[in-house]
Amino acid sequence: MIVTILFAVTGLLYAAACTSFLALLARGTASLGVWGVRLLAGAVVAHVGFLLADWLAAGHVPTGDIHETLAISSLLMSLSFVAVARRPKMRVLGAFVTPLTLLFFLAAALGRSVGHVPPNVRSAILPVHVGANLLGIVVFGIAFAVAIAYLIQERLLRRKQIGGLFQRLPALDALDTLGLRLVVIGFPLLTLGIVTGTVWAIRLGPESPMFSTAQGFALLAWVLFAGVLLLRVAAGWRGRRAAIGTMLGFICAMAVLVGYIVRASNGAIQ
Amino acid sequence: MSGEIFVIGISHHTAPLELREKLAVSRDGLDAALRALRADVHATEAMLVSTCNRVEVWAAAANAADAMESARAHLATCASPTDVKPFLYERRGEQAVRHAFRVAASLDSMVLGEPQILGQVKESFSAASAQGAIGALLGRCFTRAFAVAKRVRTETTIAAGVVSVSSIAVELARKIFGDLAGRRVLLVGAGKMSEAAARSLRKQGARLFVVNRSPERAAEVAKLYGGEPRAFESLATELTQADVVVTSTASPRFVITTEIMSGVMKARRHKPLFLIDIAVPRDVDPRVGELDNVFLYDVDDLQKVSHENLALRQKETEHAEKIVEGEVQQFESWRRSLDLTPTIVALRERFRDVVKKELERTVPRLKNVSEEERRTLDAMAEAMVNKLLHQPLVELKKGADAPEGAALITAARKLFDLEKDIADRTEQAKQQAAASDKATPDGPLTPAADAGPTRERT
Repeated sequence: MIVTILFAVTGLLYAAACTSFLALLARGTASLGVWGVRLLAGAVVAHVGFLLADWLAAGHVPTGDIHETLAISSLLMSLSFVAVARRPKMRVLGAFVTPLTLLFFLAAALGRSVGHVPPNVRSAILPVHVGANLLGIVVFGIAFAVAIAYLIQERLLRRKQIGGLFQRLPALDALDTLGLRLVVIGFPLLTLGIVTGTVWAIRLGPESPMFSTAQGFALLAWVLFAGVLLLRVAAGWRGRRAAIGTMLGFICAMAVLVGYIVRASNGAIQ
Repeated sequence: MSGEIFVIGISHHTAPLELREKLAVSRDGLDAALRALRADVHATEAMLVSTCNRVEVWAAAANAADAMESARAHLATCASPTDVKPFLYERRGEQAVRHAFRVAASLDSMVLGEPQILGQVKESFSAASAQGAIGALLGRCFTRAFAVAKRVRTETTIAAGVVSVSSIAVELARKIFGDLAGRRVLLVGAGKMSEAAARSLRKQGARLFVVNRSPERAAEVAKLYGGEPRAFESLATELTQADVVVTSTASPRFVITTEIMSGVMKARRHKPLFLIDIAVPRDVDPRVGELDNVFLYDVDDLQKVSHENLALRQKETEHAEKIVEGEVQQFESWRRSLDLTPTIVALRERFRDVVKKELERTVPRLKNVSEEERRTLDAMAEAMVNKLLHQPLVELKKGADAPEGAALITAARKLFDLEKDIADRTEQAKQQAAASDKATPDGPLTPAADAGPTRERT
């Protein structure tokens, strides 16, 4: 009962924060940003409460169930964004980040009845694998949001549409730099996640469902992010191309996650 | 009456730059100018606002008409031998309060919504406060004006965009690069508009480089705006290092072609570049704007943006004016209440006085009036005063919330000749206050501390 209430409260707070940030993007009233951050902070608190209550009720600690991973991702993403939003000019990015966290939160709730990781799949590597991927997803999720904002801003500037939306989004160079920093942080995490995942899958043997399209997507994401970083250093790739690369990388990483969710809801172990 | 606020001045709406320059007072000269003003103008409160777009004398006086005449004379002396009278505008009472709110909120500025004016008005207010020239009326009026400015800034997006071509150039550069401090601005060729843009960018902390076909001209312009001259032959190198380029040469052909630019972009590792082409005919091949990370704006683009901004902000302006109107009404209702209380007290005292005097004259003529009967007569007189005054007082109090209230108060004062009584009583109260409590004088209000040391744009 308490779990359901906390779930509803968290979901509503995420939705309210999201609405507030979208309104900020549309209207530009500064107080909307302040409220968005407050609501998001409230949602984070409610979310922690919800996770604790859920784990107490379920009687097990999180071991890496895909839904728990998603839930914690959305929590950490919100928390990181609350930190980013200390700079008032960046608050408007909440319009791109919070829909993502809301989506993660709701996806985490889907098919939650599916059992947790069975003992034969457990391994010491698993927490590292899950932890690295989780943080990677969080960082790339925000990078994805920043990249969308960059592309919108760049397009407006090129089309000479210097209207309200253009005024409300942060400066192009600031978005580019923030995006690069996030990819630099996220990339080692993703690398670690892929390496541990591969080691783990090899240990389970070639019959393991781990050898699948999921890994293909994971590798593709890695290649894309590596490309963004490499071309940036080597050829000075910047701006639009880097933003598109970042977006595609995140979409591939998401494809891996979606693959897990689909398989988990089909009743298979992850 | 407790006094009336008025303003007399000139601004970019009414006077040419030459005259504004003549009347303008530098920040260092403000104290002396205000002292001279207060010596000339017969007002209880006074303040002087001076920017390159306006010079305004603000004052509050019981006899506003007389004070305004002296303020006009003062300005005429300052401006002589030029005749300033045709350029002066005047507002008093509610109109003046509205003007104060609009000026502080930058609704009366040349560049609508520009933020500097608020800091300048705050400075003027502080200077006047320090001289003890601010009393209840100007004090309340301007502290409210600062609050109105803040509301307009947070509740509307009027300050989000600015409209002159050079300020749009700065605004766009900031939207590309964020902070402009340390960025390199390259001026190719010279012209009034491009130099204005360069100066605005320079003010934001950017470094300025000047390239010109004539080295002498380059050196001259560089010296004028605190930049560094560079040889015309090194244009490509300079383009590689620049962040913002403003071109305005008289060349009939493109000075910056796609061939040059694609090489430059590779050399600069695709760092974003903002090109502003102010020249007619154009200096930059329009195809350059299609390159990645190059943002090219020509004169027409800037003009278009300027017009769009203006249209966009029309709605915001309406919203801002509504905020101002609401605040003006609140101020006026406060000011009427300021006049109301002494009027009511004086009115009541006048009635009681009359009745008391008549009783004192009549009672001795009656025979055998006992103590008790005397008390009954007193009570009857008091009841008559109260009954007679009941409806008028109700109406006067009601008037405090409506614009017609001021007229009612004036009428009451005139009908019963109360002005002198009120003045006497105010004087008495002042003396009492001064005698009984010197430790906490009714000091001038101090403005908020965030007055920036900036000037309104010329």
